Amino acid sequence: MECSFGLVGKGYTLIASDTNSARSIVKMKNDEDKIKVLTPHLCMAYSGEAGDTVQFAEYVERNLRLHQIRHYTELRPPSSAAWIRRVLADSLRSRKPYQVNLLLGGYDTSDDTPHLYWIDYLGTMAKVPFAAHGYGAYFALSTLDRYHDPTADLEQGLETLKRCIEEVQKRLIVGLPKWNVKIIDQDGVRELEI
Amino acid sequence: MARRYDSRTTIFSPEGRLYQIEYAMEAISHAGTVLGILAKDGVVLAAEKKVTGKLLDLSGAKEGGYGGSGEKIFLLNSNVIGGVAGITADANSLVNYARTAAQRHLFSYNEDIPVEQLAQRLCNLKQGYTQFGGLRPFGVSILYAGFDPHYQFQLYHSDPSGNYSGWKATCIGANNGTAQSLLKQDYKDEITVEEAVGLAMKVMSKTMDSTTLGSEKLEFATLTLDATTGEPKAKIYRPAEVDALLEKHGLRKKDEDTEMKS
Amino acid sequence: MSRSYDRALTVFSPDGHLFQVEYALEAVRKGTCAVGVRGKDVVVLGVEKKSVLQLQDPRTVRKVAMLDDHICLAFAGLTADGRVLIDKARIECQSHRLTVEDPVSVEYITRHIAGIQQRYTQSGGVRPFGISTLIVGFDPQDSKPRLYQTEPSGIYSAWKANAIGRSSKTVREFLEKNHKDDMGRDETIKLTIKSLLEVVQTGAKNIDISVMEGYNKVTNLDLSQIEALVAEIEREKEQDAERKRSRLAATAASEAAMSAGASAP
Repeated sequence: MECSFGLVGKGYTLIASDTNSARSIVKMKNDEDKIKVLTPHLCMAYSGEAGDTVQFAEYVERNLRLHQIRHYTELRPPSSAAWIRRVLADSLRSRKPYQVNLLLGGYDTSDDTPHLYWIDYLGTMAKVPFAAHGYGAYFALSTLDRYHDPTADLEQGLETLKRCIEEVQKRLIVGLPKWNVKIIDQDGVRELEI
Repeated sequence: MARRYDSRTTIFSPEGRLYQIEYAMEAISHAGTVLGILAKDGVVLAAEKKVTGKLLDLSGAKEGGYGGSGEKIFLLNSNVIGGVAGITADANSLVNYARTAAQRHLFSYNEDIPVEQLAQRLCNLKQGYTQFGGLRPFGVSILYAGFDPHYQFQLYHSDPSGNYSGWKATCIGANNGTAQSLLKQDYKDEITVEEAVGLAMKVMSKTMDSTTLGSEKLEFATLTLDATTGEPKAKIYRPAEVDALLEKHGLRKKDEDTEMKS
Repeated sequence: MSRSYDRALTVFSPDGHLFQVEYALEAVRKGTCAVGVRGKDVVVLGVEKKSVLQLQDPRTVRKVAMLDDHICLAFAGLTADGRVLIDKARIECQSHRLTVEDPVSVEYITRHIAGIQQRYTQSGGVRPFGISTLIVGFDPQDSKPRLYQTEPSGIYSAWKANAIGRSSKTVREFLEKNHKDDMGRDETIKLTIKSLLEVVQTGAKNIDISVMEGYNKVTNLDLSQIEALVAEIEREKEQDAERKRSRLAATAASEAAMSAGASAP
């Protein structure tokens, strides 16, 4: 029942994820941060098999950090996305594949563009203007079709994001009361209150 | 046992030197000159060919032989060209390694390999050959001229020890001292590719100790950005184009004998 | 000596020396000088850098490397060896975080680096690393600065202040004379520069200074700051010399006066 959204606006990318941690029908906690900050200008919302998600996110985090220390430059969002997809694709063909779905949001400082990637555990990747994982996709994609504007400023972007979250809270059988929202722009990654 | 520390694989001499590396560098100082100039809108490489002969068949090289113009300048990746000085056989295997490394990067990251990373990859290989048993160092210095979004146009030089550094203009191979001082004199920070080509031609004509100067002795390449796509574009000059370029700068020198015969 | 190359290159000589290791130390002594000084809650790395040539890109001349957010390393010796060893250390830093979640401690990474260096003195067909390193940093959740040194043999040790590379003996002796416990930030930086000036005649333009002031806080001084400090040190030296001269003159004068007084009657 996990759910995450992402959208791109003028000079920023927004990523939102619910904060539930559940097992079977039991909610274990409701303040789990499921968005990992990977590099100063890149973060990743993950959902899927509980153990796999954290393991995979940490693996990616450490590898991107190593890349940055080694080469004195951040890996750019398109390259990071390609690499992460490759890891998942290789994992899928191994004995025990990671079952992780991702939304990757970043900001490319070399040409000042925001980026958003939709990646699933099968190694599918798409660069998209907005995206959703989980049941939220069923409710929110039409909302995003209607209201998303790639040239919108932050206030409008947040408004659209709120619409999606409200839609999920209204229609989805399971309540997802708390959400974690992060913005990535030229100044880096910050958490936002909605 | 005077030759105890310089006859076999790379080990330290009592003064803490690695003779094999020093000898490899010696080999390079006899090799054909390679020169690189970094301009604000591109990079230029020029090289002196050593293997010449009246019967040498250059028709294969016309379309690029090893993806370059023959002996000295190679396309390493779509955004990097390399000029090599030293033992040609070693160079060929390094060029092959560089191309593989660049493609492997493309496979993993879906981007052209950043120039410094490519130089670093090769240097790690070269360093390994100075430290592991039974191997001799590569007798090759390389100039890498390339472009990436991180630092735009760049020029690097790597030597047999596995060191590398970035340059605005530099030169390796025979007579590199003369060339370096000529470059130091004439290099300006805001130089354009157009001017850099002229400077490269001028320096090469002054440093090459041969009576003739033409496409049979000279290789030439530039890396610029394509005006329409904005992507890096390497141009390795064909023999006819090299001759035309020399003609344009009034530097073409012909062999008297061939003149008489023709 | 017709042994094949797959044997260890570093073997005991009949009188118990490991010559290759000793010769590697010679390579270190030829390298540029690096100094590490520990203050009360700061640790400073100073390195001598060769002059950047006119047409060289200064960005690519790197003598101090960051291993992780909280650890820096300077080396003396063969540059290419240094780069390769630094790369191995960086991988270990991230790998350690991945396995146990915590960052490495300074001692841990020092021991790891020294361990690699030791292996290269013993395994088949390799020569030792021709570098010594100075490793500085802070342990997680700790405010005490750390400074370690490793050598080609694989020895590692903790220091209050130390130097490696060219003329390191002179610098070390200077540090032994002048180092005090619990120095403040500025005092530590100044001592580092002063000690480097013992061997670097060309002054500020050939000196690089990195200051670590706590977990994740590293700053590199820029040229103008170093120049100002060098000028200050020069001034102090001059004043010192002046004072000494005037004192000498005074004693000479009083002696002269005394002897004049003695011979007067």
